[in-house]
Amino acid sequence: MLNSKLLFSYTFRFMWGYVVALSVATVVMVMAIHTYFSYGFYISLGDAIEDEMAAFEQTYSGNSLDEVNAYISERADSNWLFRYSYLILDREQNKIAGNLDEIPQNSRPHKGGWLRFHADLLNSYFIDFGSMVPAYVIKLSNMPNGDVLLVARSSNESMAIASAVMRALMQTMVVTILLGSVGGAIIARKSFQQIDKVNRSLKKIMTGNLSERIDVVHYRGEINQLAFSINLMLEKIESLMEGVKQVSDNIAHDLRTPLTRLRNHLCQLQERVDNANDAEAVGELIDEADALLSTFNALLRIARIESGNRRSGFAPLDLKIILQDVVELYEPLALDKSISMHYDFEDQLITNGDRDLLFQALANLVDNAIKYTPDDGRINIELEQVGNKARVTIADSGIGIPKEDADKVFRRFYRIESSRSEQPGNGLGLSLVLAVLNLHNADVQLSDNQPGLRVEIELGLLNRTTLA
Amino acid sequence: MRILLVEDDQSVADYIIQGLKQSGYSVDHSADGKQGLVQATGENYDVLVVDRMLPNVDGLTIIQTLRASGNKTPVLILSALGEVDDRVQGLKAGGDDYLVKPFAFAELLARIEAILRRQESGLTETKLKVADLEMDLLAHKVTRGGESFNLQPREYKLLKYLMTHAGQVVTRTMLLENVWEYHFDPQTNVIDVHISRLRHKIDKDFDKQLLSTVRGAGYMLHDPEMA
Repeated sequence: MLNSKLLFSYTFRFMWGYVVALSVATVVMVMAIHTYFSYGFYISLGDAIEDEMAAFEQTYSGNSLDEVNAYISERADSNWLFRYSYLILDREQNKIAGNLDEIPQNSRPHKGGWLRFHADLLNSYFIDFGSMVPAYVIKLSNMPNGDVLLVARSSNESMAIASAVMRALMQTMVVTILLGSVGGAIIARKSFQQIDKVNRSLKKIMTGNLSERIDVVHYRGEINQLAFSINLMLEKIESLMEGVKQVSDNIAHDLRTPLTRLRNHLCQLQERVDNANDAEAVGELIDEADALLSTFNALLRIARIESGNRRSGFAPLDLKIILQDVVELYEPLALDKSISMHYDFEDQLITNGDRDLLFQALANLVDNAIKYTPDDGRINIELEQVGNKARVTIADSGIGIPKEDADKVFRRFYRIESSRSEQPGNGLGLSLVLAVLNLHNADVQLSDNQPGLRVEIELGLLNRTTLA
Repeated sequence: MRILLVEDDQSVADYIIQGLKQSGYSVDHSADGKQGLVQATGENYDVLVVDRMLPNVDGLTIIQTLRASGNKTPVLILSALGEVDDRVQGLKAGGDDYLVKPFAFAELLARIEAILRRQESGLTETKLKVADLEMDLLAHKVTRGGESFNLQPREYKLLKYLMTHAGQVVTRTMLLENVWEYHFDPQTNVIDVHISRLRHKIDKDFDKQLLSTVRGAGYMLHDPEMA
């Protein structure tokens, strides 16, 4: 997985682009150098043949045929690379002397007395260098008496050098591409690892552990500097969060205490009034104060759960046991409304979580299901393993949630219009559920149960081997 | 019965003192943590009611210091911090019970009495009795007027808790914490349904109603003729 991620990493793609561009540049350069070298060699080869032709002409003009033959055989015995071939033809194209038998086939006269070969011939040497079939560059010279002189020299020499240069350049290019890709991969991997580390730390921090920091070994390098800046930012966020928490704790202390006093005074007042009507009225005031306090408590509770510092209370939990407890607590409430509860719980689904909070979340959902399901309805609660997750499904046959409200119900104080007047509640129950589920990295999905509401929760399972 | 209250909020303190005095306790009060600790160490109290956030020395330190010196006086912690972590911290430090502000006085009184009762009944009883309602803890049998009846396991646990605290007000949160063993905040009064089912079983066929609801507080199991 890391490798495919590495291949798609920006640095790696950039390095690859660079290597490809470099290779194209190298190829162009190799071509240019090859052309230049070949051209140079052909020019000097031509010069050498012209010089030899001049000498040969001189030998031919001023000497007997035997002396010419002696010259030819002497020259033919010299070093292979500098060995020349000669031919003298008469007017009728018959051989007079020389170590060649005829003007090579596949050639035709070119200006200045040069013979031109078909390009294929040269190309074949160029490509199939190893076979060493000799190629010649040939010059003809028409003598005044009608004889034709021919001097040829192997072009293998220049070919060999040009090809050697070409081969060297090709090898260099392969090395360049190899070094470029390996180096690119190493550099990409390194920067990828650094960025990936930063990324993973950030994800961890986002899911609630604000005290986590990214490791910064030293201050050099832009990634380290980035990590350093992120750490500074986290420091700032953490202190701000701490501030918010402090404020909410202070609110808890400063506002709940006077609210308690208010409630307590009302209780005392209730004991003193003799009039039954007044006692009833005071009782209602106490109920109002209680509702206010419970809303206030619920808000603080959500805020504290969301701040994510409750994970210290996490322990391995058997979801079946918690669900059985929820069902056991709520079933009588359902039976009072003649709602039938059906449940099917799989064994041994262990998750890491906060027992009280998970109970609270599941209880809130079951409580809602009972609240919004009419008499004689039906509620299904299931616990099953899906992949490496545990899925809890709570499905009722109640009024359900309109599609347009599905996203909003988890918001604080949000209540569906129809339930506002009919059902008691502060609109915080589902916010609390969501806060608890987020703390547990659980997913929740609401869907239509046709009719009714279907809530599906997916919780991560604890690896059984780590438990043992 | 002597109670020491260590609480810095004067009006909360006044209210608690007044309530406790009306209920027949003698109460000493300290508004400062340090002074409270000195008082708790020097004198002999039956129960300490200690606020968590106090000037000079905080509530948890008071309890830890007392426990470290071998003082076993039961402590009820009061706090505005309402989360389980804090509760666990408080109980770990050596507190016997934890009550989150705001609370109804009835809740505080019920818990103080529960703590005292726990202290008294150090001996393991094998039989509980309220009027003609009897519970045999060994045989797991419940009878009223000699007639036995079947209870679900949870109903048995609920009745046992009510009988152990007979004559005291038991609040809904106390029942959730002790019978269901979850610290949570029910949106509906689910407990009421369980109580009425239990009542249906133990009181329905009898003139004398043992299980009563105390408005704004909770429930009480008692023999009405004894009161």
